[in-house]
Amino acid sequence: MGKTAELLPGTLDMLILKAVSLKPLHGYGVLLRIQQISGEALNVPQGSLYPALYRLEHQGLIAAEWGESENKRKAKFYTVTAAGRRRLREETAEWNKLAAAIGTALNATPDEV
Amino acid sequence: MWSRLRSLAGMLFRRDRFEREMRDEVSFHIEARAEDLAREGLPPAEAMRRARMEFGTEDAIKDDCRQSRGVRWFDEASNDLRYALRLMRKTPGFTAAAVLSLALGIGANTAIFSLMDAVILRTLPVASPQELVFFAHGTGERPGASSNYPLFERYRAIDGMFAGITAFSPTGFKLTSNDGIENVTGLWVNGSFHGVLGVPMAIGRGFSSDSDQPTDRPTAVISDAFWLRRFGRDPSVLDRSITLDGRSVAIVGVTAPAYTGLVPGTNPDVTMPIAVRAITEPTYLTMHDTWTDLTIVGRLKPGVSAAAALAPVDVAFRQYMSEEENKWIAKGNPEAFAKAAFVPASRGSGVLRRQYETALKVLMGMVAIVLLIASVNVANLLLVRSAARAKEVAIRMCVGGGRARLIRQFLTESLLLALFGGVLALVVAQWGTSAIMSLFNAAETPLLLDVSPSPLALAFTATITLATGIAFGLVPAFASTQVDLTPALNHAVVRRFSRRWSSSHALVAAQIGLSIVVLAVAALLGRTLYNLKSIDAGFTPGNLLLVTLDTYGTPIPEEARVATFREVLERVKTLPGVEKASLSRSTPIHTSGNARALVLPAATSERIEDNAAFTNPISAEYFDTMGIRLLRGRTFNSLDDAESAQHVAVVNETMAKFWAGDRDPIGMTLAFKGNPKDQITIVGVVEDTYQMNLREAPPRTVYTPVANAEQPPSGLTLELRTARNPGAIAAAVREAVRGVNRSIVIRYMRTIDQQINASLVRERVLATLSAGFAFLALTLCAIGLYGVMSYTVTRRSREIGIRMALGAARGRVLRQVLSQTFVIAVTGTIIGVIAAMMATRTLDTFLYGLSERDPATIGGVAIALLVISMAAGLLPARRAATLDPVQAIKTE
Repeated sequence: MGKTAELLPGTLDMLILKAVSLKPLHGYGVLLRIQQISGEALNVPQGSLYPALYRLEHQGLIAAEWGESENKRKAKFYTVTAAGRRRLREETAEWNKLAAAIGTALNATPDEV
Repeated sequence: MWSRLRSLAGMLFRRDRFEREMRDEVSFHIEARAEDLAREGLPPAEAMRRARMEFGTEDAIKDDCRQSRGVRWFDEASNDLRYALRLMRKTPGFTAAAVLSLALGIGANTAIFSLMDAVILRTLPVASPQELVFFAHGTGERPGASSNYPLFERYRAIDGMFAGITAFSPTGFKLTSNDGIENVTGLWVNGSFHGVLGVPMAIGRGFSSDSDQPTDRPTAVISDAFWLRRFGRDPSVLDRSITLDGRSVAIVGVTAPAYTGLVPGTNPDVTMPIAVRAITEPTYLTMHDTWTDLTIVGRLKPGVSAAAALAPVDVAFRQYMSEEENKWIAKGNPEAFAKAAFVPASRGSGVLRRQYETALKVLMGMVAIVLLIASVNVANLLLVRSAARAKEVAIRMCVGGGRARLIRQFLTESLLLALFGGVLALVVAQWGTSAIMSLFNAAETPLLLDVSPSPLALAFTATITLATGIAFGLVPAFASTQVDLTPALNHAVVRRFSRRWSSSHALVAAQIGLSIVVLAVAALLGRTLYNLKSIDAGFTPGNLLLVTLDTYGTPIPEEARVATFREVLERVKTLPGVEKASLSRSTPIHTSGNARALVLPAATSERIEDNAAFTNPISAEYFDTMGIRLLRGRTFNSLDDAESAQHVAVVNETMAKFWAGDRDPIGMTLAFKGNPKDQITIVGVVEDTYQMNLREAPPRTVYTPVANAEQPPSGLTLELRTARNPGAIAAAVREAVRGVNRSIVIRYMRTIDQQINASLVRERVLATLSAGFAFLALTLCAIGLYGVMSYTVTRRSREIGIRMALGAARGRVLRQVLSQTFVIAVTGTIIGVIAAMMATRTLDTFLYGLSERDPATIGGVAIALLVISMAAGLLPARRAATLDPVQAIKTE
C-alpha cells in the first residue's frame, strides 16, 4: 500500500461523508475511495471504519441500503443524507479554516514576529 | 435525535436482523479485500488470511459497532442484570434479609404516605379545586369559618370577583325505612352548591337556584356510598322517595363515586337544600341572633387573585359586624371577628386534618428514619459482600473493566434489590394501611378515607425505591472499586480492611443513633398514652354500658320524651345482670354537652368560657351508677323531680370553689343567663370528673334533675352498671328500648372503656405505630450490628488465631471484640441522644404528664440500646474467643 499517513483524530467521519457524498458505496468501497481521493496518502484503519459507519448511520448523517456490488454480490451501500451533506459542508469549512491557520502559523518567519 | 431513537429502537426490537446484517457486511468486506489481494497475485487461501488479519479482531470491531448504535449499553445492562440475579440466587439469606429490610422500610413509608395523601394532600374531587376559597374571619393561623345565613347573603351580593358562592353545614337525618329508624349523615346546602363546586354526578342532577325557593316537596341528592348501601346502585332510585326526619323526600341525583365530600374523612349520605331546613326552622334564613356552623365557599373568577377578592369581602364583613343587631357576635372574642380572611379550599376543610397533620408528620419522620436504618443495613451487607468480592473486582479492573463499568454493575445489583423490596413494599403497605385504619375504628365516627394507593402514593413509592437503591448502592460501589490492585490480587487484602471497616462501623453507629431517636419518640408517646389511661377520671370505669337514645325527628312528641326515657330506664333496671342504671344528658370523656353562661354578680371577663359552667341534666341515680363520690350535702331524690319542687343542683368541686370560694356552697343559689329568674339552690357537692377528654381538666359542672329541664332533651344516654361483661346484655337492652317505643333510635351503644378509648384514638394510633416502627428500627439495628461484628471477626480470624497462638488469653480476645462493639455502641448512643433531644421537640403538643426531654425515658432508651448492642456483639465475640488457633491460621 506504500507509505501512508495516519489519520488525524476526528477526521475519519469527515472523510467517510466525503467519500459517500460522491457516490453510494459499500464499506470496503469507502475504504478504497478514501485511499483513492487522498492520492493513496491516507490509510484508514479497517478496525475503525465500521464503528464509524454505524455511528454516522445512527446519527442520521448517512443512510444504508442493501444492494448489489459490482461483482453481483449482496452488499450494504451507504449514501449521504441531507443532514450529512450539511455536516460535511460545515466540517469542510472548519477544516479549511483550521488548515489555513495552521499553515500560516507554521510558515511564519522571524521578521513577521 | 429522532433518527437515533429510531435506529436504537430498530436495534432493540430487530436484534437478530442487526446481527445478521453486520455479519454479512463484515464477511463481504473481508471477501472483497481477499479478491483484491488475489488479483494482486496472492494464492486464495493466503489472500483470505491476509484480509482477515488486516481487518483486525472481528468480535472487538463488532462490539464497537454495537456501541456506536447505543446497543452496548443495553447489552451490558442486561448482562449486569443477569449477573445480579445469579448473585441473588446464590446468596438467598443475604437477598432475603436485604429485600425484607427494604420492603418493611419502604412499605412503612408508603403506608404513612397514603394516609397523609388521603388526609392532607389530596385535592377535592370537584372541578378546578384550586379556585375555591373558604370564607373565614379572624387573625392568626386558623381563621374561623363559621357564619350565618344573612352574612352569606351579603357575600353573595359582591360583584365581579366570584364565579359563584355557596354554603353548607353538616347535619344528620333520621331515615325511616322498613328496617326501622336509623341515622344517616347529611349536609344542608345552598341551591348553588353542586353548580359552584362542579360536583361530579353519577346519575340525575344536582340542585339549582330553584332548590332555594320555599317548597313543600323536599328534594335530596345522595352519595354514591349511600346509593350502594341502600339501593345497590339501582338507577330507578331517581323515581323514589325516602323518609327523612318524618318527611317524604324525592331523590333527584346521585353524586359520582369519586366525590366524597368537602371534609376529608366524612362523606355525607344525603344532601338537602337549606330551603328545606327553613320548613322546620323558618327563621334560619333571616335571623341575625345566631351564629352557626354554616361554611361559605366561593369560586374565584378566572384571573382574579384571592387577595383582590378579599378586599370587597372584608368590607362587607366589617360592615355586617358593625351593624347594631350583629354587634353581639364579636363581643366575646373581638380579635376572632376583626377582619375577613380566606382559607384555601382546594383540599377541603377538616377537623381530621387539624387533628392529624402534625401527628402524620411525626410518623412520616419516623418511617423515614426506619427506611434510613434499613438502607444502611443493606449498604452494610453489600459492603461486607463486596469485601468478599474484592479479588473478583481487582481481576476485572486488571483486565480493563473500567471503574465506571464496575460501579454500574454494583448499582444494578442494589437497584434490583430495591426493586424487589419496592414491589414487596406495596404488599406491606396494603397490609399496613388496613392495620392503621383498623386502629381508627375505635373512633366514635367511622373514618371514611380512601387509602388505596393513589397515583401520587405509587409515584412516591417508586421514587423512594429508586432513591434508596442508588443511595445504599453508591457507598459500596465506590468503596469496593477503590482497590489497590496489587495487594488485592495477593492475599494481603486483609490489610486494607482496617480502613474499609471503619466506614462500616460508622454506619452501624449511625444506625444506633437513629434507632435511639425512633425509640425515644415511641417511648414518649407510649408513656403519654399510659399516663392518660391511668388518670383517675373521677368515676368508676369497668363494667359500664352507655346507650345513647335519640328521639329527634321521630313521632315522639317533645313533652313525652322525658317520660319515655324514664320508662326505658325502669325497664332496663329489671334486666338480669344490670346492677344500677341512670340517665344523663352527657357522659364523661365525650365531646358532647352544653356550657351555659352563669349570671355572675360582677362579670370578671368578657369571654364566655370564663363565665360559664358545663351543665348536665341527670336522673337521681347518676352519681351512684357512675361511682362519682358525694363530698358534701346530698344528691337528688325523687322529690326533686316533681314539677312543683324547688329547683336544685349538685355541683362539682371545681364549680363549688368557683362559686363559693372557701365558703360552704350548700344552700347558695345560682342562675343561668337566658333564664335569670330561675334561682337554683345548690344541695350537694361531688368530686370532679373529666368531661370532654382526659387532657382537659374537669370543667366547672352543674348537675340538675333531668325531670325539670327547661327544654326536654331530645336525646339522653342510659348508663348501665353490670355485674359482668356489659356486651352480653346489649341485645336485651335493644329489645327493652324497642319494647318501650319503636321510634326511639339507639344512636350509640358502647362501654365506658370504649368511650375512653375513642377519645384516645390519636394517642393510641401514635403510640402503637411508633412502637411498631421502634421495634422495626431496633431489630434492623441489631441485625446490622451483629452482621458487621461477625464479619469483622471472620475477616480477622487469622490475626486472632496468631495472637492466640502467641499466648493471648481467650478472655482478652473476648474483651477486645466486645470493647470494639462498645465503642461503636457508645458513639452511636451519644449521637442518638443528642439527635433525640432535638427531634422530640416536635412532640410537645402530643405529650401528657412528661416533658419531651424526660430524662428517665431518654436515659432508659439509651441504656436499652447499649444493652441490645452489646448483646448483638456478644455472639461474634464469643465465636472469636472460642476460635481454634490452628484452624484459624491454616484457613486463609
